[in-house]
Amino acid sequence: MGDELPRDEFKAIWHSQPTGTSTMTMKLIRSKARDLQAKTRRQLLGTVAAPLAAAFLYAFGIREFPALEHVMHPLFAFTLVWSLVGLYFLNRGMWSTVMPGDAGLSTGLEFCRGEIERRRYLLRRVLLWSLGPVLLAIGTFILVLAMIGTKDRGLFPNGLPFLALVVVWILGYFVMRGREQRELKRELDELNDLEKDNSR
Amino acid sequence: MDQFGSSLDRLARAYEADPEKRRDLSQDIHFQLWRSFQRYDGRCSLRTWVYRIAHHVATSHVIRERRIFWSLVTLEELETFPDKEGPEAATRRVNLDRLSALVQRLKPLDRQVIVCYLEDLDAASIGEITGLSPGNVAVRIHRIKNVLVKWFHEEKNYG
Repeated sequence: MGDELPRDEFKAIWHSQPTGTSTMTMKLIRSKARDLQAKTRRQLLGTVAAPLAAAFLYAFGIREFPALEHVMHPLFAFTLVWSLVGLYFLNRGMWSTVMPGDAGLSTGLEFCRGEIERRRYLLRRVLLWSLGPVLLAIGTFILVLAMIGTKDRGLFPNGLPFLALVVVWILGYFVMRGREQRELKRELDELNDLEKDNSR
Repeated sequence: MDQFGSSLDRLARAYEADPEKRRDLSQDIHFQLWRSFQRYDGRCSLRTWVYRIAHHVATSHVIRERRIFWSLVTLEELETFPDKEGPEAATRRVNLDRLSALVQRLKPLDRQVIVCYLEDLDAASIGEITGLSPGNVAVRIHRIKNVLVKWFHEEKNYG
């Protein structure tokens, strides 16, 4: 194959699209920097959701069911510590070590693989350090409800719709995340195959 | 940037269908390029550098924004797609929209190849930007052409 690819009608169609003139002004740079800061704040806020949920369930459980403090204290305390430690690991895994603008010497193949690996790593971290504590907190709360329910028959059956909703949410979340993980793995395998082809 | 402005706008279209998000993506590309130029040391051509950074930003965007029920496909999978639209619907659509929609379905690396091809880059430059061997680039371009011909010319025959 020669270096020159023949120009054809698809290229003509592609080049026919209207384009604007984008210039990088100081105003725009400042605005982009502000956007990035706001996005960072939102992401940081998102990582606090797990400790907040655990703390809320802890406080609510202790307030409503003081008789079962001995069950709740160790489990909820463990959940809180788990989610707080998770904050560190989540934030460490969240940020890309290389921003696109710093990767001018990396090829598309290298960068693409790096981004997919980072995404997979982040998904795993979220499951372990964010969803894990939340699930334990919810599980503890359900356990408390079940224990109360054995004493007071009316409470647990009333909580069944809530319990069913929680189970559906958890299952749905796992199914979707599992699907995304498999898709990312498949893409990584494809990129590895491409790299093998390259070296032949 | 005047030299690459139009190409970068077209590149953003290949990665984002939504006009608002596309504008943001385009600004991100310019922002990252602006950041990157202080690192440029001439080890590759300026054009390769610009396209690499632009594709990196866009690839990051695609991977970040991936939708759970909207899978991207490889070129090989795209070749087996039946054209679900009838000739009437097809004639109503603008060619550019069809071309963009087709490109936007591809996985990032295939998208890089097709965009570079449509931007009239030669095989060596495409290899330098994507990291694919010349043979691999040639095979992918051949497949791209076949897919494009299938999607466009068959539809003309219907019409």
